[in-house]
Amino acid sequence: MTAPYLALGLAGPHLVELSASRALLSRWDALPVAFSVLGIDRVDGSTPAPVTLASSAVGATLAGATKHGRFFIAAAPQRDHPYNIARRVASLAHLSHGRSGLLIGIRDGYAPEGPRQAPAWGGAGLGGGAPLNAQTAYDAARAVRALEQSWPHSSIIGNRETGILVESNRIVHVDLDDSFAIAGPLNAPEPATGASVIAWYAATAADNPPGSDPIELIIGDAGSVPVVALGKEPPARGVAGVVLRAGLEHSMDDLLDTAERWLAEGFALVAPGGSLRDALGLSAPAPLPATARAAFPVPRPHVAL
Amino acid sequence: MTSKRSGHVLLGINVLVLGYLPAAWKTPLLKKDSFIDADYWANLGRTAERGTLDALFLADGPLLGDPAYDANPIRLEPTVNWGQVAAATSRVGLVATASSTFNDPFELAERLLSWDHQTGGRAAWNVVTTRGVPAARNFGMPDIPFRDDRYERASEFVDVVRALWDSAATNSDVHHHGEFFHVEGRLRVPPSKQGRPIIFQAGGSSQGRALAGRVAEGVFAAELTKNQAIEHYRLVKGFARDYGRSPDDIKILPGLLLSLGSTEEEARRRSDELHDAGPASYSIGWLSQAIGYDASKLELDEPFPEDVLGPLNDTQTFSGSVGFRESIIAQIRKTNPTVREYLKQTRYTGSGHAGFVGTPEQLADHIEDWFHAGAIDGFNLQPDRLIDGLAVIVDEVVPILRKRGLYRHEYETETLREHFRAASPTPAF
Repeated sequence: MTAPYLALGLAGPHLVELSASRALLSRWDALPVAFSVLGIDRVDGSTPAPVTLASSAVGATLAGATKHGRFFIAAAPQRDHPYNIARRVASLAHLSHGRSGLLIGIRDGYAPEGPRQAPAWGGAGLGGGAPLNAQTAYDAARAVRALEQSWPHSSIIGNRETGILVESNRIVHVDLDDSFAIAGPLNAPEPATGASVIAWYAATAADNPPGSDPIELIIGDAGSVPVVALGKEPPARGVAGVVLRAGLEHSMDDLLDTAERWLAEGFALVAPGGSLRDALGLSAPAPLPATARAAFPVPRPHVAL
Repeated sequence: MTSKRSGHVLLGINVLVLGYLPAAWKTPLLKKDSFIDADYWANLGRTAERGTLDALFLADGPLLGDPAYDANPIRLEPTVNWGQVAAATSRVGLVATASSTFNDPFELAERLLSWDHQTGGRAAWNVVTTRGVPAARNFGMPDIPFRDDRYERASEFVDVVRALWDSAATNSDVHHHGEFFHVEGRLRVPPSKQGRPIIFQAGGSSQGRALAGRVAEGVFAAELTKNQAIEHYRLVKGFARDYGRSPDDIKILPGLLLSLGSTEEEARRRSDELHDAGPASYSIGWLSQAIGYDASKLELDEPFPEDVLGPLNDTQTFSGSVGFRESIIAQIRKTNPTVREYLKQTRYTGSGHAGFVGTPEQLADHIEDWFHAGAIDGFNLQPDRLIDGLAVIVDEVVPILRKRGLYRHEYETETLREHFRAASPTPAF
């Protein structure tokens, strides 16, 4: 049986601690783990910690301040919209060279619920919104995936002769109309490393997503990558990987010390660097259907005024 | 204004992705996908810091315009993009535009304060209300709300965000129940080194200026003439005073489109070449959107007909910027050009934002003139092409301003709020 890989689960205080210390960042960056979840407590049903940071803000710091470490940002469509989430996910993937992914949650433990009739995104006061449930989160994940694929990276041609930078006729609308009505396209191209990996959190079978595609990884005891609290022993059963999750009483040093020890004791080492998708051995997702509606006309070589 | 102002100007760079001219991507200095390259963006930050510049500014909107010929419509999410640049820099301020229409104030407040914390207190939020049907359709809406509604919402949105930022310091819940938003809760993000982000406002509508006077600490203005700029400078500073604030609490930085060369001829040649390398349909499309009239129906070699220059029939549904339109119409009325002449003229004089084509020395003269005239606190400079244009500002314009005592030699302050406070006070008016 293949040894499982190791991953790290960081709660709010760890995000503050890690991103403020060059020494911790350097140590984190060198660790041969598969990934870290930035703010797992945001989506795993935990009570909010005294401090936290927006997951994408920490991701941006890691994208700029480190070279190798891979990470999932955590987001939920409670006070957030899939178009806005997709923008941050795609931007992080560009700027981190594919080291990032998205852990989509149903609820955001740090945010107040929206209005009773539409607690997901209804708080934005635009008249829309949806129930705060697994279907809404799943629809948000589908939207993020479709939006990330709406502008193929290979359409960037930069032809100086014709003056065409992008074959924009290959950019498509996503035309979604489920929990969220979204026309698209996204305003950034698909990352060079392909659409970002999307993960789901499920502590029990009842938490599993209502569908599979585009969810590529299930974190939590109901999934292939269970979460083990720091201080407990790693599980004996065969699993793909394990998320070692620090509690609020633990420091980043505690987490990294234990991770280094576990890695030395038989967890599979995942070489630092490269994309999250490659590190997890996941194949590229299928592209959007060829029937998708073109967003722009075929560009023509242009003439000056 | 006869008495000379003391202190220094503020210098920002409006990073229009690769530069404000559509053909900026064609230079061999860039890769075809530099606009999504982390190194490209980090280098802009490092270059700006070499010139001790105050801030880098990034426009934004949750929609995609056609990027066929131009990198300008491409939008990496600004807090993420500037977050990455913050890791490569230590002093330059970073201004991220975010819509008050297409965000939830709780999420945006948390994200902006987190990002400000990560930058070491160098962040600013440029509040925009966002125009354009394509944005609305990404959020399940058939069209954007009317302008008045957008600004009413923006005003409440900013109040909620500021209350939430305060809650991060006080650890006390916000209890907000307004027309648009209901929030019971608080942020758990640590306050940043500057407390909370600076608030910027861009846009020249009356509602926008009023909002700026009440809450903004920076204004990204659009001014074509010095007299108009002086008038608006006094107007907005006056609004601030009406709200019980000091005029020094709000800094005004108009945009200035730039082509620089070592001689005036060289600068014009650079501007011409970059313009000619871009599509003509862009100028016409831009003008149509800016004045609210289909300019492709106009005779290129005739002056603008009077009905095009009159007041808007409906400001609520006009999808352009009222401030830009106002400054464009004033410019056209001043010289009565043909449509073709106007489109070519704007190469040098600007379009919506003022334009400048000349040498670094002449640009320093221009900045000094407007500064001492009491028209600005600084400029948000918009190079035609950043990859080589930004270095000219940093290595040639800034040293001239330093020699004249108009700019600092080293960073003397750390946060963006401190940069603003260290700048020249508002002259008496």
